[in-house]
Amino acid sequence: MSRFKNFREFYEKELRSDLEIIDQKRKRVNRRVFCILSLTAMAVTAEILLIPDTLDLLRGMIPFLTGVAGMILTGIFSRSYRKEYKKRIIARLTNYVDEGLTYTPEGSVSLSGFLKSGIFPSQCDRFRGEDHFTGMMGKTAIEFSEVHAEQRNRSESGSSQQNEFTTIFRGLFIVADFNKHFRTRTAVLPDNAERIFGKFGQSLQSISSDRGKLIRLEDPLFEKEFCVYGDDQVEARYILTPSLMQRIMAFRQKWKTRIYLSFRDSNVYIAIPLNKNLFEMRPFKTVANYSFMEKNLRFLILLTDIVEDLNLNTRIWTKE
Amino acid sequence: MTWIIVTISIILFTLLVGIAFYNSLIKKKNDVENAFASIDVMLKKRYDLIPAIVEAVKGYMKHERALLEEITALRAEAISDNITDDQRVDLENKIGKGLSELLVAVENYPDLKASHNFLHLQGSLNEVEEQLAASRRFYNAAVTLFNNSVEVFPSNIIASLMNFRRKSLFEIPKAERTNIDAKELMERR
Repeated sequence: MSRFKNFREFYEKELRSDLEIIDQKRKRVNRRVFCILSLTAMAVTAEILLIPDTLDLLRGMIPFLTGVAGMILTGIFSRSYRKEYKKRIIARLTNYVDEGLTYTPEGSVSLSGFLKSGIFPSQCDRFRGEDHFTGMMGKTAIEFSEVHAEQRNRSESGSSQQNEFTTIFRGLFIVADFNKHFRTRTAVLPDNAERIFGKFGQSLQSISSDRGKLIRLEDPLFEKEFCVYGDDQVEARYILTPSLMQRIMAFRQKWKTRIYLSFRDSNVYIAIPLNKNLFEMRPFKTVANYSFMEKNLRFLILLTDIVEDLNLNTRIWTKE
Repeated sequence: MTWIIVTISIILFTLLVGIAFYNSLIKKKNDVENAFASIDVMLKKRYDLIPAIVEAVKGYMKHERALLEEITALRAEAISDNITDDQRVDLENKIGKGLSELLVAVENYPDLKASHNFLHLQGSLNEVEEQLAASRRFYNAAVTLFNNSVEVFPSNIIASLMNFRRKSLFEIPKAERTNIDAKELMERR
């Protein structure tokens, strides 16, 4: 709670002046962007009116290209202050929440880390990420970032081939050191089959997959929310103690969304689908605003609380 | 002619269903045995650990000699061959209780609590106890599936023909049923 209590002071001392400078830049850039967009619109209109035969493909392209150039310039201008905002403000906010964490705006959890979790299909053709946080929280090494993973589908239209990308996962991806040693794989996935089909869904689950055998745990509420697959019945239960099952349930309720967990190579991998671009500026609203920054702080605390929520700092076993 | 085909079909169908239930029952019985064997593996780990723990603490603990001797004696009895399963379960419960008491008594010896060797052994013991709890939970899950098949119609007919009886569940000790209080454990460490 003290992090919230002292935040007003931190905001006034450390963030406010920088936020005001960034905000000035944002306004300046917005004015420029407005000019560029107006000029682009005028240019496009003029081209359409002045070029006699706009249906001609080559001539029709000119207004289109002018429009695209205008949009690109707008993007370049606004990127500069967005970058500065992340480097100066979000990085400092990260340090305020936990000094052991480092923030890299352009960084991401690696593709190999993402695939190693085994949560999603192993074919991933386009992988992007940003807002990478990494470091030690207590005794737990942790990293997380926003991730967008896509798969390519080839479709043929006439003689040409077209690539279409479908999203496998978009949201937050977390990799943390688990507090116990284990050798095998265990995956905890949202239980869509049982929720939709009830008992029949259980039979569907046991048809299973390459994730291992279906593991039926004794907590009925947990079983309703999740289905567990693993290579080893005993080790899966060694990882998923009654206490951890309750913590996972509470964690799911806290985030109010589906969550995916995988335990592998003594790490825990967590995927939380989100449709929001996190830690971004508001282009048409001031950022030098206490409640806006407090909102960012709340989200960052929610994220870093994962270590506490899953009790990862408890090291009473042989893993140091 | 038709009635012969119908009769043969019914017999074949019954036979196939019977084989499916039989196989399923055998698989479940094997799962129970497998789960029971995993408990044995964990108990063996616990037995291996006890002498090392007793050795590590006996130099420090002046007033718990009786407790240490009792744990050692119980271990010796538990690994001997001539005891019944019921006696063994009873011995295991007593060993578990004795080890818990031992860990509580450690609180009175700050030097012991600071010993790296003891901390490592304590970590190993916590690990073994949780693996043991996991094996018991696996055993109970396997027994529940087996018992359901033994009692539910029509697999109960095959089960009674094979003389399969309901198996009892492991009673999870109260300490294992309550959730681990991380704070308490950390403070204990």
